[in-house]
Amino acid sequence: MNCVLEGNCVKAFGKAIHALSRIGDELWLDPTATGLALRAVNSSRSAYCCFLFSPLFFHQYSLASGPELGGESLKCKLLMKSVLPLFRCLTSIERNVKRCQVSVSTPGDRVVIQFFCRHGITKTYNLGFQESEPLQAVFASHLCANALKAPARLLSDMVMHFPVSQEEIMLSMTPQRVSLRNYSEGGNDHLKKMFTEMSLHPDEFDFYQVGVDSDITFGLKEFRGLLSFAETHSLPVSIHFGAAGKPVCFSMEDMVLEATVVLATLVDSESRGPSQHTETSTPTMPRGADVAVRPVDSCEVHSNKNQDLPAETVVVPSSQGSPIITTPVMMQLLPQHDSLVGLCVPNEASVRDATTPASSMICSLLFRALLSQEGEDGCPDRLPVLACYSDGEEEDFQRSPSL
Amino acid sequence: MPLSTQSQGDDEQYVLVACSDNARNLSNILKAISFKDHAIFTATPNGLRVTVEDSKCLQANAFIQADIFQEFTIREDSVTFQINLTVLLDCLNIFGGSALPGISTVLRMCYKGYGYPLTLFLEEGGVVTVCKINTQEPEEPVDFEFCSTNVTNKVILQSEGLKEAFSELDLTSEVLQITMSPSQPYFRLSTFGNSGNAHYDYSKDSDMMELFQCTKTQTNRYKMSLLKPSTKALALSCKVSVRTDNRGFLSLQYLVRNDDGQICFVEYYCCPDEDVEEE
Repeated sequence: MNCVLEGNCVKAFGKAIHALSRIGDELWLDPTATGLALRAVNSSRSAYCCFLFSPLFFHQYSLASGPELGGESLKCKLLMKSVLPLFRCLTSIERNVKRCQVSVSTPGDRVVIQFFCRHGITKTYNLGFQESEPLQAVFASHLCANALKAPARLLSDMVMHFPVSQEEIMLSMTPQRVSLRNYSEGGNDHLKKMFTEMSLHPDEFDFYQVGVDSDITFGLKEFRGLLSFAETHSLPVSIHFGAAGKPVCFSMEDMVLEATVVLATLVDSESRGPSQHTETSTPTMPRGADVAVRPVDSCEVHSNKNQDLPAETVVVPSSQGSPIITTPVMMQLLPQHDSLVGLCVPNEASVRDATTPASSMICSLLFRALLSQEGEDGCPDRLPVLACYSDGEEEDFQRSPSL
Repeated sequence: MPLSTQSQGDDEQYVLVACSDNARNLSNILKAISFKDHAIFTATPNGLRVTVEDSKCLQANAFIQADIFQEFTIREDSVTFQINLTVLLDCLNIFGGSALPGISTVLRMCYKGYGYPLTLFLEEGGVVTVCKINTQEPEEPVDFEFCSTNVTNKVILQSEGLKEAFSELDLTSEVLQITMSPSQPYFRLSTFGNSGNAHYDYSKDSDMMELFQCTKTQTNRYKMSLLKPSTKALALSCKVSVRTDNRGFLSLQYLVRNDDGQICFVEYYCCPDEDVEEE
């Protein structure tokens, strides 16, 4: 693989790497005929980010590879801490770098990143990589109940009111308004915390679709990373989501690139529950830590501590009409690739055997994305899948939303 | 000013007296070589030379000519002593390190000779401080025997070009490799760190390159820990000359302009890292 970036594109590439570094510690490089995909996922697999640069983004783009690979382009991953320092100072890149060349050199087992700078200076970095199957989260955003589209500036202006240390925020949507408020775990510190909430009227958005009233809670840091990129490029950001517990997808695109961030949302027993559903069953608590869920940031929320939220939890069936399945059954379904079922499992549903009361967890978003063998048995890992791993050849799902 | 009204008779007892109306002219340049606690001061009628060494493999010298000082009196051909450089810098900055325009610390530095402390009179805004710093038996500085006749390769670069490279150096690399050649890559700095290799190439036609005289291709490695302190001198300088001799010894010479536009020099000598095979 060999590609050349010129001028401002080098800075855009660097900004994408900054956004990816907010997500995970490793950077997946996947050169394909449709473009170069850069991806990252976090260690608990609850956040995923992908930047796809089309061949038009590059001054030159070729997938030529050595004979050892049999014509396939090399897919690999790099340590983020090896790559990020190269693009750390974007202002200096903007000032000094005229051209950047990224190539994979198989005889040397190196990814070579070369910067051709002003004053006749050339910087060459030979980075070690690890061959890896590509990483991909498949998320059917067009099937999401709710969708928003807004200029990045609007979202940044909303998000800027929250302190930098704020870990998670809650986005609530009803037909009347969208609001953002800070999410805090633990009700004991009411006196010490500052609560911020702001609401926007649907008219502020370029696109506003409410399928189900919902409150979703997701990581702010990861979201900020993408917003920063979107703002620099003045791109509108689309947000697709459903009820709490299902992933939220943020995406943006222009003619030469597409970016997607998929974040898991908290299974929140505090949510009001979608207004359209009539079924309720006896209140049950989300599952405890021992069952098939990997918590993120070990946050445990005790529900019913916030006074304004209902004491009862509501088990809701999937808004897409998927069967409600229990955890053990769901595990069997995981190896399938066509499973929208795997995608849309509502976490409240598999709560039968809850042990600890009132613990909310973020479900793992990706499953087996990091494993290269497909033929393994059903569940080497007991994690519910919210978005399935696909090995890149399947074009069943469009990742980008079409609005 | 109190210092200048000191009776001239006192000076009889001193073998060295140096006065400056801006102590920063001295302290800034000494900071550029302050990677070790102790420094050897050698004063001659030409001026002051301050030497700092590290494990006999690295030597840094700062040269402050006599005409940098408002007054420079020396009663012997050569006056040498060793002193704690950290303490000296603390004293020179005793009125605070910040550089406010129009306010400077006046310095009068006096030395009575062997066995006596170095006395500093510092004055700012009417406040006078007197510091007496003990001196020690001077060690003989290493003579690196670096002479211009043995120089094989020499380049002079504008410091601007090197500053970014040095600030970005991969510190997980144990060595800094310097390649100088009459052909590609001309002048190359390389590191071999945990993430991989990095090379900074400066073309001989670069507008940062003021002089390019390379006679043969040479690649030498130097311990990163030895060269990292030179970044301070690089930061102060406007030009740097890089020379290697036939043994692979490295000489870095930095041209430093002080606040008043006067020129001083800082020089680093470093011996090559012999243990490692060249790539």
